[in-house]
Amino acid sequence: MSDEIKVKVSHMTKKFGDLLVLNDISFDVKTGEFLCVVGPTGCGKTTFLNCLTKLKAYELTGGEILINGEPVDLQKHNIAYIFQEYSSFPWATVEENIAYGLKVKKRPPEEIKERVEEMLQLVGLTEYRSYYPGQLSASMLQRVSIARAFAVQPELLLMDEPYGQMDNSLRYKLEDELIQLWQRTGTTVIFITHNIEEAVYLSQRILVLTNKPTSIKKEIDNNLPRPRDVTDPAFNQLRDEVTDLIKWW
Amino acid sequence: MKKKLDVEKMTYAVLAIACFFIFWWFITTFTPAKETTPGPVEVIQLLFTSFFEPIGSHVITGHLLVSLRRVLVGFSVATVLGIVLGVAMGASKWAEAIFKPIFELLRPIPPIAWISLVILFFGIGEVSKYILCGIGAFTNVTLNAYTGAQNVDPELVGCARMLGTSERDIFFRVVLPSCTPQIFAGMQVALSTSWMAVLAAEMVGAQEGCGWMIQRGSDTLNITLVMVGMIVIGCVGMLLAAVMRVIERRLCAWNIMES
Repeated sequence: MSDEIKVKVSHMTKKFGDLLVLNDISFDVKTGEFLCVVGPTGCGKTTFLNCLTKLKAYELTGGEILINGEPVDLQKHNIAYIFQEYSSFPWATVEENIAYGLKVKKRPPEEIKERVEEMLQLVGLTEYRSYYPGQLSASMLQRVSIARAFAVQPELLLMDEPYGQMDNSLRYKLEDELIQLWQRTGTTVIFITHNIEEAVYLSQRILVLTNKPTSIKKEIDNNLPRPRDVTDPAFNQLRDEVTDLIKWW
Repeated sequence: MKKKLDVEKMTYAVLAIACFFIFWWFITTFTPAKETTPGPVEVIQLLFTSFFEPIGSHVITGHLLVSLRRVLVGFSVATVLGIVLGVAMGASKWAEAIFKPIFELLRPIPPIAWISLVILFFGIGEVSKYILCGIGAFTNVTLNAYTGAQNVDPELVGCARMLGTSERDIFFRVVLPSCTPQIFAGMQVALSTSWMAVLAAEMVGAQEGCGWMIQRGSDTLNITLVMVGMIVIGCVGMLLAAVMRVIERRLCAWNIMES
């Protein structure tokens, strides 16, 4: 992780009519950092990502979001987004899905072939390269999305509760794979989750959000050594600390 | 396993057709219907002889090819126009606002109702027959393409956009492939409707074609000829539907494997 600022969020405010959803949120994400954003369900985590990417034509009510010091431009900035739902293109095979972003970015065919091959190996889907998404299991589908995202070597990877629908054993496996990919590529990651254990396991820093209107309750640096152990007392201590911050009961 | 299933299916199909012919033979041999309705043997005999002896100006294959040409020309033009209009209405609010009310107004009108108007404007030549076949196909293809384009998963569009796809490319790379299965479903129905339309079109001011053949049989009280025409249309319709399914399997393999 370098000291260079990749994403700068300043006084981000978003209202839907009179409903204030995001209330004056400011924070920075450094290049190569793995940031987890946690908060109670419905606190506006996804709205934050949608504001960042303008995916649903969300315009900020106030404040600004800069990537490399410039306003977000999806054509210019190399951003990848992994959704909570499996978002593989059903009409494309596994390898076509992984190659999609590279083709859109008009990379040379040799590079596309090489990258696809590498990603297939990394996510363990080489044998399934010619399968269609409808023929794959949930974990394989999410692997396809991850491989497609990493294939374009994004400068920023956004992940919106990508493992939310998976059981624990599968989630642990995919989390480990993600950490390996992140360490290998050095991509800046903003990972949104409501699962505190997941946030502690993955992150270098955790941003804890409040209930609506959402603001930042606390930023916590996570310096636990890797590989992390969920039974480690230090791990549990940090998990309890974050839990105390977001619990409303 | 699959081969065994295919053989089983084929056996059932052959048995079902055999039962149909036995039933037909029984009705036309042992019931009062024998006075008015030809049996399967007579119909099949005429069917075979009509391959060599002309009915009107052509042998049966000639009539069939004429009808087929009319259907395919009308169907192809209507399919292209239907896909363009349907996808445009589904993907653009402006196109929907402009074209949907007109489309909804014209949609319930069956192709047969257009015959007089089409003949008035285009005469009794080939063009009017192509147009009538096209009208039959156009509605189904447009409607299915419209529904397909409306139901494109917004998450897939978002995903493509995030990966840097331009708005124009989203149309070709996401919207169009997404609605292909639905477009094909519409095309299957459209093909049948085109056949219905061609028969209606050939019954008015035509000198050739399957519709003309049936009309001639009807005018001369030759029910055997009517039934030959019906069987030929049934067989060709079945064949065309099978061809469509093969094309669909090629283009929408992902959808078939999923289901």
